[in-house]
Amino acid sequence: MNVSDLTAPGQTPSGLTAPDRRRGWILPALVALAVFVALPAALAAFDRGYFYQIANLALIFVLLSASMHLVTGVAGLLHLGHAAFYGVGAYTAALMTSKLGLGFTVTLPASGLVAAAVAFLVALPTMRLVSIYFAVATLAIGQMLYLVMLNWVEFTKGPNGVIVTKGFELFGFGLSGRIAAYYTVAVVVTLCVVAIGRLSHSYYGNALRSIREDDQCADAMGVRTVRLKMEAFTLSAFFAGVAGALWAHMTGYISPGDFKFSESILILAMVVVGGLGSLPGAVIGALLLILLPEGLRGLGDFRNVMVGLVMFLSILLLPKGLLGEVSALGLVRRQFGAAWRRTAGGEGIGWR
Amino acid sequence: MIDPYYLQQLAIGLSLGMTYALMAIGFTLIFGVLNVVNFAHGEIYTLGAFAGLVVISATAPPVVAVIFAVLAAGALAGFSLERLAFKPFRRFTDEASLKSRAMRESTLLSSLAVSIVAREALELLFGSQMRSAPAEYLINTPVRVGPVILVTGDFIIFGVAAVMLVGLQYLLTRTRAGLAIRAVSNNPLGAKYVGIDTDRTIILTFVVGSMMGAAAGILMGLYYGAVFPAMGFVPGIKAFVAMVMGGLSSIPGAVICALILGVSESMATTFVSSGWSDMVAYGFLILTLVFFPNGLFGARRERV
Repeated sequence: MNVSDLTAPGQTPSGLTAPDRRRGWILPALVALAVFVALPAALAAFDRGYFYQIANLALIFVLLSASMHLVTGVAGLLHLGHAAFYGVGAYTAALMTSKLGLGFTVTLPASGLVAAAVAFLVALPTMRLVSIYFAVATLAIGQMLYLVMLNWVEFTKGPNGVIVTKGFELFGFGLSGRIAAYYTVAVVVTLCVVAIGRLSHSYYGNALRSIREDDQCADAMGVRTVRLKMEAFTLSAFFAGVAGALWAHMTGYISPGDFKFSESILILAMVVVGGLGSLPGAVIGALLLILLPEGLRGLGDFRNVMVGLVMFLSILLLPKGLLGEVSALGLVRRQFGAAWRRTAGGEGIGWR
Repeated sequence: MIDPYYLQQLAIGLSLGMTYALMAIGFTLIFGVLNVVNFAHGEIYTLGAFAGLVVISATAPPVVAVIFAVLAAGALAGFSLERLAFKPFRRFTDEASLKSRAMRESTLLSSLAVSIVAREALELLFGSQMRSAPAEYLINTPVRVGPVILVTGDFIIFGVAAVMLVGLQYLLTRTRAGLAIRAVSNNPLGAKYVGIDTDRTIILTFVVGSMMGAAAGILMGLYYGAVFPAMGFVPGIKAFVAMVMGGLSSIPGAVICALILGVSESMATTFVSSGWSDMVAYGFLILTLVFFPNGLFGARRERV
């Protein structure tokens, strides 16, 4: 991806004169309005627990998809075990709550850190692998973590799952109502997605993209590829762990079945359908693949086929995804600011 | 004298390994040619089992007819899989795009998507519960061999795996079609330059590989007496592990590693509960990738 093509000197993209140098604010404001005002208002108007659950689920998967975007889309590492790290986070939150009696304030960061620590440990031996070998290794790691959740009955209660007794709270201040729970999920997810956005649309993100395009070349240019890959992998596991904690406290019950291989594939499908390397695409993909099956509930079991079909058709017909990387980068740069720097002469010099 | 218990475990492990080997042969064949992982191979296996089951429950034909029906279903499935999930991504045939990561990953994902559709469609059609063939078709009559007890299926599976392996070696090394397959797997562009119809060769590989997968599926279905839509997943992963351990494009290597895998899994159940035995396969996979990235029997590769 040659980002500098987008802003060759002397050439202004159509419709973007002076304001594009400042941070765009319309789209961020609209998104924030939708997430924090319009949607909760609509949910409160309908006041059905089911809708709240769908909204929370969609937000959690937005976070999962965004975290996978970091490792698979930006760093180009095909990750087939993402759901396992989500599971590690969820189990950390659930077990800390049920065994130690800790609340959400502690379990949320702890889940992220434990998932990141596990990811770091498994990354140590495997991160030198490339392409398909890496994908196979992550598949194996994901399955191993799943087996631990399933079979270590004394610790994880195995197939029976764990009941999470506490809902959301902040420093002892209960956030138990439906609206409060929604806002908790929305705030955490938004903060995490903004953080992922800053990571992937920055100088750092450029380095990750260089690994994706040609890791040998990047290595020769002095980019520390192995270290960067490990960082991307660990960071994405951290965010997946956070999503896991949200899931555990939201549903109040987790079981290994929530974190099996097909969930990893679902998250991968979200990223692929949205567009590899495009954060807005990952968000759209997550919303599509969560809301579409719910909307098609009338079709019964056919919706599972739909996930596969949507994935297949989007690979076939939209190889770049719903919102391809080039247009997504342009959008992010114009509308979300994202620290795009220029020289005094107005020449784009890149993300900083 | 070895404890008969261990001999029994060894026998169980070898027959388990044989079942993985059956699947690994077709998997490795397809990988060797296209250099991409065919995630839908597990679904071909399931499809073969269901095709056999449908034929058996519809007309109760002799066993030979069942085998032919399953092979035909496998060939058809392999052909359509190649057309659906792989052909559309071979639009460009220049060297750069043949070697490109993007092409490999899109076929990886498209085969994954096709496998999801196939599995969920089977679930819609047949329901997710286990089904069983009529008892007279099952191949699990116990046979006593010295101190250990085997079932007839073990011998049949051993026979079929041996025939497949030898037949495939014959096909690959002694026939023109096999020569074409090896040429395409070695260098697709070069094969094209010397006048090999790469497209047809790839289809042939898929058909042969999928026939083997489907045959493995119905054998396993009759061996365990259970056919269900998700049955292809675990053997698929095990076959994958065997393939990686064997060095990706070496078929005999994959078979040997499948046997090693089966034996070590059944031995592991002596020490830990059976739920953990899958851990052995994944552990082997990681160890192989880290310490023998070329596989135990593979040729040298540039980078892994």
